[in-house]
Amino acid sequence: MHKKSGFGSAALLICLIMVVGIMAAGCGKKKVSGSKSVYKIGVVLSLSQAQAALGVPEQNALKLLEKKVNDEGGIEGHRVQFLIEDDESLPAKSKEKFTKLVNQEGVTAVIGTSFSGGTAAMTEDAEKNKIPLIGLSATTSLTHPVKKWTFRTPPTTQMVVERALGYIQKNLKLKKIGVLYDSGLFGTEGYETVKATAGKYGLEVVAAESYGTNDPDMTAQLTKIKSTPAQALIVWGTGPAPSIIAKNVQQLAMTIPYIGSHGIANQTFINLAGDAANGVVFPAGRVLVPSSIPADSDWRKTVDEFAKSYKEAYKTEVNTFAGHGWDAGLIMTEAMKAAIKANGDQEKLSASVIRDQIEKTKDLTGIAGTFTYSPSNHDGLKIDDLIMIKIENGAWTEAKSS
Amino acid sequence: MALDSNKWAENKLLWSALAIFALVVVLTVSLNGSKGLQWILSGLVVGSIYSLIAMGFSVIYSSTRVINFAQGEFSMLGGMLMYTFATKAHVSIWLSFVLSVLVVALIGAAFEQTAIYKLRGSSVITVIIVTIGFSIFLKAIAKWIWGTDPVKIAPFTGEKAITIFKAAIVPQSFWVFGLTVLAVAALFLFFSRTLVGKGMRAAAANSDAASLVGVSTNTTSLIAWTLAAGLGAAAGIIIGPITPPSFSSGLMLGLKGFSAAVLGGLGNIQGAVVGGLMLGVLENIIAGVLPTGYKEAFAFLVLILVLLIRPQGLLGKPEDVKV
Amino acid sequence: MERYLKPAGNKRDYRVLLIVSLVILTVPLWARLIPGEVLHMDIVNIMVLTGIYACAVLGLNLLVGYAGQISLGHAAFFGIGAYTTAILTTRLHWFPSWLGILLAMVVAGVIGYLVGVPVLRLKGNYLAMATLGLGAIASILFSQVKWLTNGNEGIMGIRYLSIFGFKFDSDIKFYFAVWVLVLLIMLFSINTVRSRVGRALRALHSSEVAADAMGVNTGSVKTRVFVLSAALAGLGGALFAHYEQFVSPESFVFSISILFITMVVVGGMGNIWGGLVGVLFLSFLPPVIQALPQWIPGIPSSVTNFSNYELVLYGLLLIVFMIFMPRGIAYGLARGAQMASRGAKHVGERLQARKYEEHK
Repeated sequence: MHKKSGFGSAALLICLIMVVGIMAAGCGKKKVSGSKSVYKIGVVLSLSQAQAALGVPEQNALKLLEKKVNDEGGIEGHRVQFLIEDDESLPAKSKEKFTKLVNQEGVTAVIGTSFSGGTAAMTEDAEKNKIPLIGLSATTSLTHPVKKWTFRTPPTTQMVVERALGYIQKNLKLKKIGVLYDSGLFGTEGYETVKATAGKYGLEVVAAESYGTNDPDMTAQLTKIKSTPAQALIVWGTGPAPSIIAKNVQQLAMTIPYIGSHGIANQTFINLAGDAANGVVFPAGRVLVPSSIPADSDWRKTVDEFAKSYKEAYKTEVNTFAGHGWDAGLIMTEAMKAAIKANGDQEKLSASVIRDQIEKTKDLTGIAGTFTYSPSNHDGLKIDDLIMIKIENGAWTEAKSS
Repeated sequence: MALDSNKWAENKLLWSALAIFALVVVLTVSLNGSKGLQWILSGLVVGSIYSLIAMGFSVIYSSTRVINFAQGEFSMLGGMLMYTFATKAHVSIWLSFVLSVLVVALIGAAFEQTAIYKLRGSSVITVIIVTIGFSIFLKAIAKWIWGTDPVKIAPFTGEKAITIFKAAIVPQSFWVFGLTVLAVAALFLFFSRTLVGKGMRAAAANSDAASLVGVSTNTTSLIAWTLAAGLGAAAGIIIGPITPPSFSSGLMLGLKGFSAAVLGGLGNIQGAVVGGLMLGVLENIIAGVLPTGYKEAFAFLVLILVLLIRPQGLLGKPEDVKV
Repeated sequence: MERYLKPAGNKRDYRVLLIVSLVILTVPLWARLIPGEVLHMDIVNIMVLTGIYACAVLGLNLLVGYAGQISLGHAAFFGIGAYTTAILTTRLHWFPSWLGILLAMVVAGVIGYLVGVPVLRLKGNYLAMATLGLGAIASILFSQVKWLTNGNEGIMGIRYLSIFGFKFDSDIKFYFAVWVLVLLIMLFSINTVRSRVGRALRALHSSEVAADAMGVNTGSVKTRVFVLSAALAGLGGALFAHYEQFVSPESFVFSISILFITMVVVGGMGNIWGGLVGVLFLSFLPPVIQALPQWIPGIPSSVTNFSNYELVLYGLLLIVFMIFMPRGIAYGLARGAQMASRGAKHVGERLQARKYEEHK
């Protein structure tokens, strides 16, 4: 008589787990009925863990866009479906979800992800498997040098830095700058870009200090900067820290101007920094100050509509991340429309066709600006799409630039 | 246990450490003037926060030998609840404070009753995993309720910085100092004057003997967890105006408070204060004096060095470090 | 009861290993047959990462379950292995990747030795804290020592693993490479546990003091297992680097260390199958949680739309698991099997008794 060994049961369990897991992984594939095929676009975003603050607005925007496109007749009659996966802010998962979307769901184009490490991991696969990828992360190196299948919608760090440095040079007419940056990827890249580009704008970096993303107090670093000849303070980081720094600056009675990064392009910065936020300047997209866009322009109409529908749907103000998500979705769907116009209606659009049409995008009005790609430029935006925003009385206004 | 530290007078290591610390402080100020004073002052504020968190760790550890990986989350929850009551619902500051602390204390008690109690006698690693699971759970619930953005808590008595010999601190800092002093005093009185507290000390020292005289480990554990949760929440609320909390802010607080607790002696209340203040000040001096970037590793370096050289910390006894 | 719960490896384990190997190595074939429109490639996809993590988890299982130590920083060794091979193969174009993997194991092992010797003097909670601190420092070093690791930007464009010209450039090829290795590690573990070393380990686990008194060189045994577990984690990391073709500090954070240790504990400590059960269970758990809304109709969409409910459930599951199965699944199973067989025996005896009665 055989007694089932506990360990044999373990082996059986292993197999059982795998079967259940496999069935689970396979769930969710619904057959869509209808006359025309559904165009599926893969999306990988960071909806949980560290980068969730970026991924959630991006997801919100894409859902809005999906509804809008479908309500307006889809892509020449084809319904559009964004298949959104969460990579939990882990590059290994970004890659896993990318593969899942391409292999299991059969998508031929992907948008994502919210943070640089994940996008870097996916771009390897995108190039290898020849799938067009529109990235949503900030680092310059994503599209410099240009990779055939990888595009982006957010401005490069290089562009943002140049916008800020230009302002310091032309408007503030200052020469010496101090930099306080987050020791993570975003902050470090910002600092290195400032260091490398300062000379171009006749500026000199006379002080540089870093801080940890979750540090509670930056007075130590600020006292060091205060004792140098720095005439302006550039702060490059995200999260609560820039607002803490703003309050620290006030606490230490520092009078030099505070120039932030696009990482503070959100209402939270103003809420947290309170009074200390007034006077802070930072480079960002115009979606935050729609009045900076000429009224009656297409751009203005697009932005106003977007801000309104976003607020209605999600009961919260729109931000630049949502804009980047929207723009990526827009470029993708417009490219698909162009593909049908060029090659006729198809059951499923191939990856290379979509890629080619993305690259042909010219003067497409999105939220962050006007997008134009070319074989040598996968950035889409230009420096002039950005403006310097000043916080006055707790609200954003355009810092008048020359 | 919490108060039975090595008699201060006899603890040579402690005095040498304090002496060196004082020396470093004096040097810093004399070499760096008001800059140095600022580092120390800011360091004391941050250090007090570390102390409060460290106290939470110590209270639980001394009663149950459990390291509560969710201690930072208690502070985070305290802050988030304070935001909901005070900033969003416009309830008065004091009522919000009390409510938030109570809610978190209840959560701590509930967890103790459902999980810790059942795991009495399990291996160390099992309990660690349970508290880790709890911290993951709390973090996810916090994100569900409050989203990912940090939240605003208004300072209790205004924002305008106060200058002391050209070093500036915000008024909220005094509330932080105040709470720290209050917590130390309250815990001291509790453990040395009240029957319950004395019972807990007895149970921690020798649970069998204690149960013979009617003190049950179950009650001890429950009280410890409730206390630590409430204390953690209070800490999170009091520093909220200075460092806005968010769903993920528990981790950093927990790790730093933890290092502070180990430095002072895990399980020791006075050690928590000493460790916290020293850690806070030294961190800031390092940030001020050394090139940028070394500050972050400092707390972990301290943690490892203490564990390798003197695991019982500055105020602990060697016997404390038994399996 | 003891027979089921004793962590002894024995001949039964070899048989089980054979069955498990057959099942796992043929997944690409039979996964196609599962209903639900699932492409077999998707399972292969999940299983590759599972296998990579399994290298680290199996080593950790020996350390935690058999030697009775704790490590909350093992992602550090995983990362050290990954960076070693990444740096060598991207900076020296001629450097063979298989050598990179070997060196990754050596470097991880050496560092494991250097930190292990001082740290293993600590016990229980203190050891846990020390390893946590070490893991955190490793994390910081990965992102700050820029000249070596390229900091937060990470190292891109890592070559495929290739052994004497054969390139592992697809999921399927990698799947086999990884799982053959994992099964070999299982074989090695079973052997080790049966040997003298294994007995020393078990003695060590039940009581260090007694083991010491019996002449077991506890210090060296502990260190050796630690080094082994570090090397295996390094192996996993190296495979990770060649699979992802990109490494950055984000992949080796504290939560990964926690994931490893959770897999060991949930799977079953001190049970030779604990690591494997744990890594498979926790790798397939997220898809199951994600699919729950489709299987259980009543969950309101406000819950499921929230992608974090998975994390809420994950945290809850950890807590519940530890309360009801504190020694892990493998033990919970063994006890379940024991109770089932006892129940069956009981029923059988009753039936026998009735038969006798009827035949009287």
